[in-house]
Amino acid sequence: MAASVRMDLGDIQGDILRAYGNDYDCTTYAFMKIECPPEQARAWFTGVVDHVTTAAPWPPGEKPLTTLNVSVTARGLRALGVSEEVVGSFSREFRDGMSSRSALLGDVGPSDPKSWEPGLGSGDAHILLTINAQRTSDHERALGKMKAAMDAAGGLRIVYQADTELLPGSREHFGYADGFAQPAIEGTSDDKARGGGVPLKDGEWRALAPGEFILGYPDEDTRVDPKKRLPNAPAAPLGRSGTYMVWRKLYQDVALWRRVMRDAAKLYEGGDEHTLSAKVVGRWTNGAPLVKYPDKAPASFDPQTPGGNDFRYDKDKDGMRCPLGAHIRRSNPRDALGFEGHLSFRHRMIRRGMPYGKVLPEGVTADDGEDRGLVFVSFQASISRQFEGVQVQWLNAGNIFGLGHDKDFLLGDPHGTGKMTIPGKPPFFLSPQEVFVRTRGGEYLFVPGMTALAALADGTAG
Amino acid sequence: MRRTRSSTVASPNVSGQAYAFMAMTPVRPGEEKPLADYLRGLRDRGPSPLAKLPRTHIGRFVIVPDFHHDPTWKQRREEHLDLNYLIFTSNFDGDLDSYLDELCERLAPEAKEIWGRCVGCPESAKGAALKRYLEHNQIKTGMFFAAYGQATVGAVKSSLRQRDKLIEFAIRAQAMEPDALQKAFLSEFDAVR
Ligand code: HEM
Repeated sequence: MAASVRMDLGDIQGDILRAYGNDYDCTTYAFMKIECPPEQARAWFTGVVDHVTTAAPWPPGEKPLTTLNVSVTARGLRALGVSEEVVGSFSREFRDGMSSRSALLGDVGPSDPKSWEPGLGSGDAHILLTINAQRTSDHERALGKMKAAMDAAGGLRIVYQADTELLPGSREHFGYADGFAQPAIEGTSDDKARGGGVPLKDGEWRALAPGEFILGYPDEDTRVDPKKRLPNAPAAPLGRSGTYMVWRKLYQDVALWRRVMRDAAKLYEGGDEHTLSAKVVGRWTNGAPLVKYPDKAPASFDPQTPGGNDFRYDKDKDGMRCPLGAHIRRSNPRDALGFEGHLSFRHRMIRRGMPYGKVLPEGVTADDGEDRGLVFVSFQASISRQFEGVQVQWLNAGNIFGLGHDKDFLLGDPHGTGKMTIPGKPPFFLSPQEVFVRTRGGEYLFVPGMTALAALADGTAG
Repeated sequence: MRRTRSSTVASPNVSGQAYAFMAMTPVRPGEEKPLADYLRGLRDRGPSPLAKLPRTHIGRFVIVPDFHHDPTWKQRREEHLDLNYLIFTSNFDGDLDSYLDELCERLAPEAKEIWGRCVGCPESAKGAALKRYLEHNQIKTGMFFAAYGQATVGAVKSSLRQRDKLIEFAIRAQAMEPDALQKAFLSEFDAVR
């Protein structure tokens, strides 16, 4: 096994390897368009870069009140004056952008980029500033500062802004604890290897190579290379300590979800809506996994406690506990595809999503017209292999799991069979699959490392 | 009487009634990118040209630019290809002879853009001349396993339709009492029997 790698945390932006997590309640995502010449934009960018939060650990008790992180689209690189040649060294899907991949991603019908919110997917989004704050007051101050700097510089415009806030108990809008199942990374989160890493034959696990998530480090392909070659990355210095970011605003139709689950449960064993919904996710609302707790949710369960994510599917091959089509089993099949995880461990991602919008009060099944959902954020070394691989091959297609044209029920793309099979005696066919989730916009971005940010600001990135 | 081996062992290119064809042709220097661009663009230009050959289960064009070197192999020296190679594979129903006839006739416009960029391809890139070229460059399939080798494309498609019908029925029928279920099933699927 490769010796554990030391990460240059001071060169990597914060919130990628380790979550800011519940330390910050509010996150604002501000997409900017550069409407001025590159030199002028870089002068402003220099001021931004000075305030970027890195992954270096905070001294005890010195957690900043707010954090700032920066990412860029391919057009953003050009607007900062980066040459075509260097832009060409980035991955094709990043250069093409998320909206050009809509057919592949299943962003069709109501999720078609044509009906996305203005500013997203149109080529206007150049730079994304992500601001986290502990409290609303800090948040407003940080936003005010950002806007003042923009106005002073001139030639910059916010084309889209999303304000998000953690919901009580880290729930997403359908009511499930979310965001805690994350890949275990060598040199960073080795202690989370059980359940988070690669499931080995002997029942052990190992953490993933850091290059799966941060460019400039060995990945699962090169970790054993005797010549110590590194994976493909954009031209230096941009290719070091950076990562690709997927940003998607996913509207959740909570009232529709509740109505469908309520009505379907009338035909399900004992009319148990709670269990039926859990079968769709693969976890109970408090996060307890069905493979470990098949009959009912444990009264108290904290998914963050050690071992909370430590499970496999080997004792549940037919999905009697956790359906083969459950959201978490599709999005990370762990050992379920056999071959010691070889078919799944290159398709992992770090998720840093945040819910937006107000909670629909419990029990309400009529839509209140509010905009609510999930700002889905993932970090990975390859958007096509990791995010798109999961979205396209696992969530939107069922072949690899023996599920034919069944699509992930939770995401609600009805163009497959329109049902989900819940194994049981007899099995239950959950339907109709309605459009529970709609894509309202999104971008593929690149999160440069600190050295790379400085080079972008100086105009020396090539 | 002793039976000869060849009369008892099926062609390695055949599984059930399906045939696996593979041809490997060197790409003319300078034509690598135009060929790759053309193949990549097929998807945007409408239905696959192989749809004109309805006996095809799955066809594939692959360009091999060079040998891959797995860093974990302890090779003494790296080997390289002098030219790029185009690999065409197709699994289809029935015999090769008539399939190639159909291909060389119906795919003539595309063949000029594809094999027309390969070393040794006859000028016209169609008809009997193209057929001879593809046969000449055929690589025998070492082992071919078709999961449902007896089923023709038509049979596969009709099974998929049955499957959709069954799924739709299963959803609709799950609330029915046994008697009603049996009646509904027979009325829906009796013709299948
Ligand atoms: C609004 C849409 C979505 C909702 C409500 C949702 C909800 C959830 C929930 C409740 C969990 C379980 C909690 C956890 O493991 O952290 C989960 C896990 C996960 N989801 Fe989603 N999700 C959504 C969209 C997506 C998309 C678009 C992807 C990827 C393309 C995705 C990938 C994952 C992954 C990888 C896991 C972790 C599975 C594991 O490691 O066991 N999700 N999601």
